[in-house]
Amino acid sequence: MSTLPAHVLDEIRELPAKYPQQRSAVMPALDLAQEELGYLTPEAMSEVAVALQLDPGYVEGVATFYTLFHLEPIGKHRFYLCTNLSCTLRGANEIVKHVRGAIGVHEAGEVSKDGLFSYEEVECLGACEYAPVARLDRRYQVDLTNQKVDALIAERRNPVVQPPHPAAPLAQPTSPRSGEVKPPKKRTKKSG
Amino acid sequence: MAEQRGTVGGPVLTEWFATRDLHKLDVYESLGGYTALRKVLKEMTAAQVIDEVKISGLRGRGGADFPTATKWSFVPKDHPGPKYIVVNADESEPGSAKDRYLMENSPHMLIEGAAIASFAISGHQAWIYIRGEYDLPYEMLRDAIAEAHAKGYLGEHSFGTDYPMDVRLYRGHGAYICGEETALLESLEGKRAQPRSRPPFPAVKGAWGMPTAVNNVETLSTVPWIMRHGGAEYAKRGTERAKGTRMVTVSGDVQKPGNYEIEIGVTYRHVIEELAGGALPGRKIKVFWPGGSSAKVLPGSMLDTSTDLDYLKSIGTMGGSGGIIVMDDSHCVVKAAARLLRFYAFESCGKCTPCRVGGNWAVRTYERILAGEGSQIELGILERVSDGLQNGRCLCGLGDAAGWVIESTMRHFHNEYEEHSLHNVCSVEAALAHA
Amino acid sequence: MPDVNVTIDGHKLAVPAGMLVVEAAKLVGIEIPVFCYHHKLDPVGACRLCLVELSPGPPRPQTGCTTPVAEGMVVKTLSPMAVQARADILEFELVNHPLDCPVCDKGGECPLQDFTFRHGYPTSRIDGPRLHFKKPIPLSETIALDRERCVLCYRCTRYYDEVAWEQELTVGQRGVQSFITSQFDQPLQSIFSGNIIDLCPVGALTSRVWRFESRPWDMTHTASICSKCAVGCNVNLWQRRGQLVRVTARENDDIDEGWICDRGRFDYTDVNDPTRLRTPRIRGAKATWADALQAVAEGIKGKKVKLGISLPADITNEEAFLFRSLLDGPLRGARVKMHGRTALPLPLGETLRIKEIDDARVLVVVASDTENEVPIVNLRIKKAVSKRGARLIVIHPDGVDLDRDPRTVHIRNAPGSAAAEVRKLASNELLKSAGGLVAILYGDGLGSEEIVDLAKSCRELAEAVGGKVMPLYRATNERGALAAGVAGWDSLDGVEALLSWGPPPTAGIPKSVKFLAVWDHLPRPQNEKAAVVLSATTFAQRQGSYTNLEGTVQFLRPPIEVDQPLKDSWEVLTELGVALGMNLDYAGIFAIQREAAATIPAMAALAQPPSAEPEPQPVLVGPAHP
Repeated sequence: MSTLPAHVLDEIRELPAKYPQQRSAVMPALDLAQEELGYLTPEAMSEVAVALQLDPGYVEGVATFYTLFHLEPIGKHRFYLCTNLSCTLRGANEIVKHVRGAIGVHEAGEVSKDGLFSYEEVECLGACEYAPVARLDRRYQVDLTNQKVDALIAERRNPVVQPPHPAAPLAQPTSPRSGEVKPPKKRTKKSG
Repeated sequence: MAEQRGTVGGPVLTEWFATRDLHKLDVYESLGGYTALRKVLKEMTAAQVIDEVKISGLRGRGGADFPTATKWSFVPKDHPGPKYIVVNADESEPGSAKDRYLMENSPHMLIEGAAIASFAISGHQAWIYIRGEYDLPYEMLRDAIAEAHAKGYLGEHSFGTDYPMDVRLYRGHGAYICGEETALLESLEGKRAQPRSRPPFPAVKGAWGMPTAVNNVETLSTVPWIMRHGGAEYAKRGTERAKGTRMVTVSGDVQKPGNYEIEIGVTYRHVIEELAGGALPGRKIKVFWPGGSSAKVLPGSMLDTSTDLDYLKSIGTMGGSGGIIVMDDSHCVVKAAARLLRFYAFESCGKCTPCRVGGNWAVRTYERILAGEGSQIELGILERVSDGLQNGRCLCGLGDAAGWVIESTMRHFHNEYEEHSLHNVCSVEAALAHA
Repeated sequence: MPDVNVTIDGHKLAVPAGMLVVEAAKLVGIEIPVFCYHHKLDPVGACRLCLVELSPGPPRPQTGCTTPVAEGMVVKTLSPMAVQARADILEFELVNHPLDCPVCDKGGECPLQDFTFRHGYPTSRIDGPRLHFKKPIPLSETIALDRERCVLCYRCTRYYDEVAWEQELTVGQRGVQSFITSQFDQPLQSIFSGNIIDLCPVGALTSRVWRFESRPWDMTHTASICSKCAVGCNVNLWQRRGQLVRVTARENDDIDEGWICDRGRFDYTDVNDPTRLRTPRIRGAKATWADALQAVAEGIKGKKVKLGISLPADITNEEAFLFRSLLDGPLRGARVKMHGRTALPLPLGETLRIKEIDDARVLVVVASDTENEVPIVNLRIKKAVSKRGARLIVIHPDGVDLDRDPRTVHIRNAPGSAAAEVRKLASNELLKSAGGLVAILYGDGLGSEEIVDLAKSCRELAEAVGGKVMPLYRATNERGALAAGVAGWDSLDGVEALLSWGPPPTAGIPKSVKFLAVWDHLPRPQNEKAAVVLSATTFAQRQGSYTNLEGTVQFLRPPIEVDQPLKDSWEVLTELGVALGMNLDYAGIFAIQREAAATIPAMAALAQPPSAEPEPQPVLVGPAHP
C-alpha cells in the first residue's frame, strides 16, 4: 500500500527524461510528492527514490537541505514571514507576533488547532521594496499590516470560491526610471 | 570619486515598463521585442554577438561584476556536447528584489536575452534556475516560454532557421547558497547545493559536466537592448570603467522604497534621497548597505559615494547585487548585524569548516552580547571569527560576506558594540525611550 | 607528460605534472594536514585544513589538495599566512568537538589529535556550550556514529557515493546543523560499509566490534591476507594478549586499493571464542595428538570411494599440496568436497589481473553477483566505469548492484544460457569499437551455468575482441587448490567415513556416515557424533599462502602463535600422513613450500621468501606550534 497514488508515481517516473541527467529529477519529484501529501514523510521520500531508481538516503539528504521541503505537517496555509533586515526595519517582528496570536499558536511550525494555519520566519523573499512581506499560498502578500493579516486569515477561514488567478505582475512598476535617465521617446512608427 | 559622464539617452531595462501587459508576447513584440533575437539568428555569428557585448562593457549584475562577453568567450565553442546558459534567478540576497521585478514585468526580455546568450556560446538550451519562493515570476516565465514556442521563436526551428533554441525552467527550493554559481549547478543536478572547488570553472565543466556560463537575470535582460541599439550606445551610459545602467532596490527606512534603474555613477544620495524619498520623517540615516547585506556598510556620512562599481571596490565595499538597505538612527547596528549573522549561519551549506563553524560561533556570541552576557572576550571572538571567515579561508563568498558584516559594522560603529558588550546598554533604545 | 619543477619550503623537486600539492609535499616528508582529502577520493577542498601559500598566486592561501603542481610553483607551508590559516581552521574544528579523547577509540591514531598538537594553537580560546547531538548512534551492528565528534569532512558519504555507488549513508540538514545519518535511521546494509571506519579521520565512525577494546599502542599487528574470499585483499591483523582484536585494510593498489569488505573486517570474533577447541578428543575423552591421529587413520584408511573429505574454503596452498600427496597415496579414491567453491576450473591461458580492470575500455561481467562474491573486485569495476569512463555489460538473470549506473547494459539471460549470450557479444557494437582492453569476468552463476562451455565462450570472446578473462572464484584458495590438483567437486552422498575439515558440510553430515572425524576450531552440535575431534588453528594463526583469483600468490603472516596443545595444520597433515603409512618428514613449512614450488609450476612463487615486513609508516612531523 503506497503513500503516493499511482498517477503521481507515474508522473515521477517520467521526470528523468526531461533532464540531461537522472538525478536532476529529484527536486521536481519531491515537489509532486509534497503537493500531494502536504508534506514529505519518510515513506513518500522512499517511494520517490524507488520511482527514480535511487537510494532513499540520497533523496533524504536532498530533502533535508532545502527549506521549502517540509518534513512535518504544516497546515493548509503557511505564512512564510520574512524577518530579514529590511522587513525587520519595517516592523516584521510585530507582524510575526500578530500572526502568532491571530492563528492561535505558540511558536513557529506549530499547526493551528483547526489544521488551517502555521507560520515560519524566513529569510529575504526578494520583495524588499514592499516590506514587510509574507509568502502565503504561493503568492506574496506585501506591505503587511495587522489588518491585512487579519483579512488574509479571515478569507481562509471562510473561503468564498475565487476565480482563478491570471498570471499578472505583482503591481505595475513602482518607479521604473531615475531622474538622470531621460524618459523614453514617443514611438511614432513601429518597425517590423 | 569616479568620473560622472552626465546623462545620456533613456532607460534601458525599464524602457517599456509603463506598458500594460508587457508580459504578453504580442505586446512585447509590438514595442520591438524579439527583433534582436531574430537579427542575431538570421544575420550574425556567435563571435559577432560576443564582440557587440564586449563593446558595451556589460558586466555581471548579480554581484560578481565580471565582464559578460569575457565569460561567454571562455566557453569552448568547439566542444562536441551541449553548452549551457544557466540563468541565475535565485535572487536571495537581502535587500535585492530587482530580478523579481524584471521577471514579473518583462519575462520575454529575459527569455530573449537568454536565447541570444545561448547563441553566443554556440549552445541551444538555456536553463532558468529560479528560486522556489518566486511562484508568480515562475508562472509568468512558464507562460511566456509557451507563447514563444507557439510562435516558433523557441523550438526546433527558432524563427524558421535550423537553429534549435530552447529555454527551460528549474525551481529552487529554498537555499541562499544557490546564488553561488557552482552551488546552483549542483542544485540543478539534483544534489545538495554545496559549491565546488574551482578550477575547473563552469566554462569548462559546468552543468551536468558540460561547458556552461551562468549569468544573472538583469545581465541577460540587458542583452536584447544592446543587440538592438549596439554596444557603443550602451557604453555611452555610466562611467569610464563601469558602463551602462543598472537596477537597484532601495528598501528599509526610506519614504519610497522601490526598484529603480539608475545610470551607474550617480551618488547614493541621489538614489536614496531623490529617488527613494530619503529618510523617514524625523529620522536621520545612520548606515546603509550599498549593494545587498553582503556589501560592507557605509555610514550615513558617506551618502555622496558614487555607485561606480570600480570605485566602490577601491574603497573596500561593493555595488554587489544593488540591494541598497537604509537604516536610520532608530535601529541598533549590533542587533542588525546579529540578525544578518543569523541569516548567514542559517544559509551556510556546511561544506567548509570556517563558514559552518564560524558563522554559528558568531551567532552565539552576538546572542550573549545582546543578552547582557558580553565582555571584551566576546568582542575579541567576533574579531577573530570575522578574520577567520575572510582571507581565503572559505570555499565561497558566503563566509566572506558574513565576515564583512561583522568587520564593517564593528569598524564604523564600535561604540555601539562596546556599549552592548561592556556596559549592557543600547543607546539607540535608550534614546527612543526618552523621545 | 614531462615532470614539473616545484619548490616546497625551500626543497626543490621534480614531480609528475598533475600531482596535487599535498602529495608532492609528502615526497619530501612535509606534512600538509588534511581531513577531507583522501588519495582514493575526488578532492573537494571542503575542510580548508590544507591551506598553503602558493606563488605565483593570489594573496590568499589556497587549498593544496585541489591544486596541481605547475612549473616553477613555489609552495610555502611555513609562512605566517599558511601557518595561521591552518591553526585557525583547526581551532574552528575544535569549537564544537567534544572533549572525548579519554573515552574515544580513535585516540592514539587520531589525525585531529596529531594535527592539533603539531599545527594548532597551544591554548584553547573556546568558551561556552558546544553543539550537542544524541550519541552514539548505531549505524549498524558493527559501526557506531558519534555526531559530536564528526568534523564533516564528508569522506564517508563521498566514499559511499563515489566508490560503492550507494547512498544509504547521507547528510541531513545543512550548515552547522548538518549531521551524518543512515537513510531514515535504518541500519546500514552495504557489504562495503566498514571502510568508513578506516576513512574517518576522527572518532566519529568507530567499530562496535572493537569498541573499548584497546588502544593502538597496546596492539601489535601483522601484514596478512584476508581469508574470506578469492580476491585476497591485504589486511592488517591486530592482536593483543593473544587475541585477534581487529582487522583493518592494508593498501595494495594491485588488488584492493585500500578497501576491504565487511566479511573480512568483522568476521573474526570466532578466533577469540573462549569455547575454542584446544585438545584432540577421542569419543569425548582428551587424547594425545599421536593417539588421535592414529584413531583417524584407522577410521579412514583403505575406504577408497567410501571415504568422504570435506575441505575448508580457506585451505592454503601448502595444505592443499600436502593433502594432494595424501590423496595420491593412502586416501586414493576418496570423494572430496570443498566448502563454498564454484564449479570453475583452472583457466587456460593468461588471466586478467585485477589492476588491469583500471585500463579496460569495456567490462563484461557474466554469471556473477560480484557484490557478494568478489566484493572488492566489484569496487574496482565501479571505479573503472565512473572514474575511467569504461563501459559495462552485465549478463545475469537478475538485477545486480552494477545496474545502479544507468549506462550499464544489462542482458538478462535465461539461467543456463549465459554462454550463448557471451557468444552473441562478439558482434556487439560496444565491443567492436572498444578501442582498448576488454575485461571479461565470469562466475558460475551459482551452479546454474554449464561451466566448461561458459569458460570456453569467454575465452573465445576475449580472442575475438582483444580481451582477457578472469574467472571469479568464490572460495578463498580455489585457484591454489586446483593448481595443487585438489578440485573438491565431488558429492559426499553415500560415504561411510567422513573427515570433516573446517566447518561442517553445508548439506549436513550424510546419514550413511559411520565414522566421523572432525578437524575444526569451534565446538559444533555435529561434533557429538564424531569419533575423533582434532583441534584446528584459525586463519589468525596459520602460516602459508593463498593464490587469489588472478593467480597471485600472497603469504599469510599470522599475528597469533600456535600455542600448545594446538598444532599447525601442515604438521597435522604430515603426521596424519605418517599415521597412514606415508614417509613424510618436513622440517618446517618452508620445506613444504620449496617442494611445492619445485613440483607445481603455478606454485613457483612459494619458493621465494615472503617480502620483508612492510615498514611502519613514518610519522611526518610538521611544526609543533604556529
